[in-house]
Amino acid sequence: MRRIFLLGLPLVLGACEGRHNWLASGGAEAIRVEQLFWVLVVGAAVIWTLVIGAAVYAHRRQVDPSLEKQARQFIIWGGAVIPTVVVCALLVWGLVILRDITTKEGDLTVRVDGERWWWRVIYESPEGDVVTANEIRLPVDNTALFKLTADDVIHSFWVPALGGKMDMIPGRETELTLTPVETGSWGGLCAEFCGGAHALMRFDAIVMEEAAFNDWLAHEASPAEVAQDDAGLGVFLDEGCGACHTIRGTEAVGPVGPDLTHLASRERLGAGIYDMTPDNMAAWITDTHEMKPDIDMPPYPNLDGARLDQLVAFLMSLD
Amino acid sequence: MRYESDKQPGPYGPPGDAPRLIGQGSIWIMAAAPTIWAVHFVASYVLAAVWCAKIGASLVTPAWIIAAMGLVCAALIVWLGVIAVRRYGGVFVIFEEITESSERGRDRFIGHVSLLLCILSVVAIGFTVIPGLILGSC
Amino acid sequence: MTQEIDLSKLPPPEPYDKARDEAQRERLMATWAKPVGWRHISAVNNSYVGKWYLLTSFAFFTFAGILALLIRAQLAVPNNELFSQSLYNQLFSLHGTAMMFLFAVPIFEAVAILVLPEILGARDLPFPRLSAFGYWCFIIGGVFVCGSIFFGVAPDGGWFMYTPLSSNTDYSGLGADIWLLGLSFIEVSSIAAAVELIVGVLKCRPPGMRLNLMPLYCWYVLVVAGMILFAFPPLIAGDLLLEMERAFGWAFFDVDRGGDPLLWQHLFWIFGHPEVYIIFLPSIALIATMLPTFAGRPMVGHSWIVLSAVGVAFLSFGLWVHHMFTTGLPEISLSFFSAASEAVAVPTGIQIFCFIATMLVSKVRASVPMLFAGGALAIFVFGGLTGVMVALVPFDWQAHDSYFVVAHMHYTLIGGMLFPLFAGIHYWYPFVTQKAMSDKLGRWSFWLMFGGFNVAFLPMHWTGVMGMPRRVWTYDLTDGWAVLNMVSTIGAFVFAAGFAVLAVNVLWPRGKAPYVKRNHWRAGTMEWAAEVPDKPWGVRSIPYIHTRYPLWEQPEVVDEIDRGEWFLPDAEEGKRELIVTDILDARPLYVQRVGGPTFLTIGSAVCLGAVFILATFHLWTLTLMFGAGFIAFTLWWLWTGTSEIPENPTKYAGRGLTLPTYAQGNRSPGWWAVFITMTGDMTAFMGLVFSYFFYWTALPDFFPTADKLPSFGWLLIGTALLLASWLMCVAARKLLGQGGRGRAMVLLAGALPVGGLGIGAWAWSAYTKGLDPTVHSFDAMVWMLILWLFLHLLLSWLMHLYVAARIWRGICTPDYRADMMNLTLFTHFLALTAVVIFALLALFPILMGVS
Repeated sequence: MRRIFLLGLPLVLGACEGRHNWLASGGAEAIRVEQLFWVLVVGAAVIWTLVIGAAVYAHRRQVDPSLEKQARQFIIWGGAVIPTVVVCALLVWGLVILRDITTKEGDLTVRVDGERWWWRVIYESPEGDVVTANEIRLPVDNTALFKLTADDVIHSFWVPALGGKMDMIPGRETELTLTPVETGSWGGLCAEFCGGAHALMRFDAIVMEEAAFNDWLAHEASPAEVAQDDAGLGVFLDEGCGACHTIRGTEAVGPVGPDLTHLASRERLGAGIYDMTPDNMAAWITDTHEMKPDIDMPPYPNLDGARLDQLVAFLMSLD
Repeated sequence: MRYESDKQPGPYGPPGDAPRLIGQGSIWIMAAAPTIWAVHFVASYVLAAVWCAKIGASLVTPAWIIAAMGLVCAALIVWLGVIAVRRYGGVFVIFEEITESSERGRDRFIGHVSLLLCILSVVAIGFTVIPGLILGSC
Repeated sequence: MTQEIDLSKLPPPEPYDKARDEAQRERLMATWAKPVGWRHISAVNNSYVGKWYLLTSFAFFTFAGILALLIRAQLAVPNNELFSQSLYNQLFSLHGTAMMFLFAVPIFEAVAILVLPEILGARDLPFPRLSAFGYWCFIIGGVFVCGSIFFGVAPDGGWFMYTPLSSNTDYSGLGADIWLLGLSFIEVSSIAAAVELIVGVLKCRPPGMRLNLMPLYCWYVLVVAGMILFAFPPLIAGDLLLEMERAFGWAFFDVDRGGDPLLWQHLFWIFGHPEVYIIFLPSIALIATMLPTFAGRPMVGHSWIVLSAVGVAFLSFGLWVHHMFTTGLPEISLSFFSAASEAVAVPTGIQIFCFIATMLVSKVRASVPMLFAGGALAIFVFGGLTGVMVALVPFDWQAHDSYFVVAHMHYTLIGGMLFPLFAGIHYWYPFVTQKAMSDKLGRWSFWLMFGGFNVAFLPMHWTGVMGMPRRVWTYDLTDGWAVLNMVSTIGAFVFAAGFAVLAVNVLWPRGKAPYVKRNHWRAGTMEWAAEVPDKPWGVRSIPYIHTRYPLWEQPEVVDEIDRGEWFLPDAEEGKRELIVTDILDARPLYVQRVGGPTFLTIGSAVCLGAVFILATFHLWTLTLMFGAGFIAFTLWWLWTGTSEIPENPTKYAGRGLTLPTYAQGNRSPGWWAVFITMTGDMTAFMGLVFSYFFYWTALPDFFPTADKLPSFGWLLIGTALLLASWLMCVAARKLLGQGGRGRAMVLLAGALPVGGLGIGAWAWSAYTKGLDPTVHSFDAMVWMLILWLFLHLLLSWLMHLYVAARIWRGICTPDYRADMMNLTLFTHFLALTAVVIFALLALFPILMGVS
């Protein structure tokens, strides 16, 4: 079932390649690690070649007792002294990077709460909290401080292109700072195995110009623009969707599932896994557990025809 | 070559097997130096964890405490190294052939390995001290 | 009793007498013969148990390998629907679990049980029945855990079982219980093997093999068994906490009730990281043993390798938090572990460089084992270098839980463990079977595996860089991971083909093939002194060793052994006999009699297995019944097979050497086994103590108000009574030594009610204050500590009654009182535990100003 919908996605290999790449230079923190990465890779290649070369040479050559002296130097310098100096230098470098990337102040604060298997996102703003889900937008060249929590099990918040990951642990609040330096849409995912649909716990991290970001945040803070007699809203409320989901500006104030106030403005559906299209939306409602197994939302297989169309049209209008 | 200690059972008695303390005829000296590293490591970890959880965010004081503990531990290990050399006859060689079948040979072997472990432990303690010098806060 | 014996001045052997030689051989054969037919399974000798152990471990390896292939098949293409999400989660959880617990650790024990006694020129390990018991536990537990996948209830929370995913019964089902109970059971058998191997290395060396002459393999076994002893118990403590939360709702990991999920990660990785080196070191030991053979000279830097083994063993306990770099601990805490993780590269590097230096100063003979050793080096060095990378915190924040780490880990484990092991299989195959393996198939299997491995795992580093997280059952084409995953899958199947060739080469029936020559590889270590075809007795007579490579430096020793010129050439009493020597210089201390074939150990293992399996399903009545069965079998086994009073207090061992036939106190292996086991037990207890302090550090409101603390007075009374019961046991030992059998029995029996009142007072102190383990972590911790001591007390009561009964029946006497001394040693540890618990529950809260 799932495959059919996915085939609808752009099939060109490489079209979006590198959305999760650590080496995409999307964020200041990622760039620091990128430099470290290349030095380590080149260094490792050189060391590996030298060690294995020495082993092959030692295996090939004829016995020569006069080599004992060289062998002695070889163990002292190659086995003990040089490795000690090298790992010591690396340790210091690693710690300096660690200090630099953890002591930044955040320009804005985003609280992200890991749920099974989606992300509750709350922007802290002077006018109050702005709640959204499964998509994170960030202003470029601003440092975002993420305050990470979890409700049920351990998750881990990771946008590889922007920087490292941080676990979200029940009962604790962990922090992570990311400073995007390039606009674009990056992939984010859950890195800690959280049971069931761990593989399908994704989100998009969209980096925007600062002005565009401010407009978006203001829009996100506003209630949904819905007519109270919208037929789709009627279906939504009749079916009890409001018990779990919130659509600000309507009677639906359920706190359990993702906030749907501006659902259609997001690029993807189902925690970053399907394109936001009417077909996917309909399938999500009727075949929920084929779209994403084990999740708490029940499927509504009996919704069909006009009522389903009305509901989908309503949801797709929530931009 | 026969050593003095081979002629008699020695002050450490017949081959009963009670764990002996550090001294000639005991293997505990081998574990002693890395144990000191372990103690310093755990102490540093606990100090930092409790400091960050209960006391404050600045790491300047604990960093100095850790460095000072490191110095004390390193001094202890140097003392062990001196014992390994003096009492056990440990030497620093690579192509060691300490294969005499005698008590002295066994002692020299233990002394030699202990000496190496002392060096490794001091280096490892040095590694433990580094973080405090670089990171300023929790 | 025993005076210093100058082994180098022994009288010459008696002249050779063919008739005597044959008569002795016949008696030895009768004593050591393996049981025939179906009774074969009652064998306990190390050569049989070791072989079963090895084959069973490889069976689990094959099983876990097939799971890996299924995983790779699922990931071969994006959006694959071959397996469901739920089944995939079981597949990878069971793959990791089985590889770690049912292959990597047991195979170390298997190889050590098989070759260690022979390398030591010993007839068997000191506790052959214990090895057999461990083996049966291992196979029962392993089949139980693996079989669960055929019922769709395999563990599905990862091999690391992070809480609260594993602790909350809403999120995890039977699989988690199977993991916890099944593996705890197997951990028990690992610890049993560790105890046996430590005692084996320390006390069963051949006369004259001083520490400086001990082969490198033995050093590694000693170090690794010691590591098991300190690494596994914290996990057992963690398992206990987790199962108590799952089964009875005790609050350890639930944040709403003052628990903390990170505690599990600490306890798991305090085990889990040393575990990596527990796997790695014994395999490196195989290379360290075979390299001198092919180089034809002693290892360069013998002592440097001992240094690095010991150094790595210690440092490996300072690495565990590097699995927790992303848990938001203070950076300074992470940095200590980063530092230790970097430091451990130094001793590891020294080992590798000693190997290369040995090759540098010698002419190495090419052979299939050396081919595998070379492949191991190439792969492992690479894995070590990526290890240096992930040990840096900022790098790890990217790499952690990505496929980069999957690649790194497989490079270290397959390069550091599997390839050396395969080298060892090729090296020791002629020793075990006296037949030669096919070199051609050997080279085929090597190149297929080496090539397949690199094709599978080298691209995986890049898959990780492209951001693919671990443990995902599906991905999308647009993620850009499809090509890399397909390549990895192809490589995995090539690797599997290589292993299939190896399996064929090993299992190929070679009944009619000619025997190999004695000492097939011209090695220098004692195991190659075995006759071809081999005899079940291990070694014809136990020689005096005064060199590191006896077969090179004492070439005459083989003939001397064969002619029965050394110690214990005979089995006149029809008893299986070993020589126990002292730790430092291997001076002979006494002749130990070990048990022969028995079904008791199997009965004991089956009952214990049933206990764990039935507990999984909460069938408590049946569990208790089988528990009673386990106790009955074990007591029967101990009663009939240990500390028997010898028919003669001494025995002539040959070459003018007369040795006692009974030992007690710290001369006897039994005493050392108790000492070592209880050291492990104390480590598990330290896991609980750590948990207590962890809660105190992590939770600001861990301590309740003063009126909710367990009452000080009752705790004090309880502690006094518990110490009194300990002193009664100590007094009983003293009285028995002075001949007071009756009074000793009275004291032993009297210690039971006194201890019972003591633990009762403790329980009362918590009960009167209304402490409820299901309400808060402090309450749960208090009850856990009390329960811990209570369980030990139950065990000690059983032992008190056992010893009292032995005294009554005249098996434990004033002269032969090993049982009494071992019991007292056990109670020393109990007393220490009681004092520490008192300090934790009564003194520490006051010290922190709660009252």
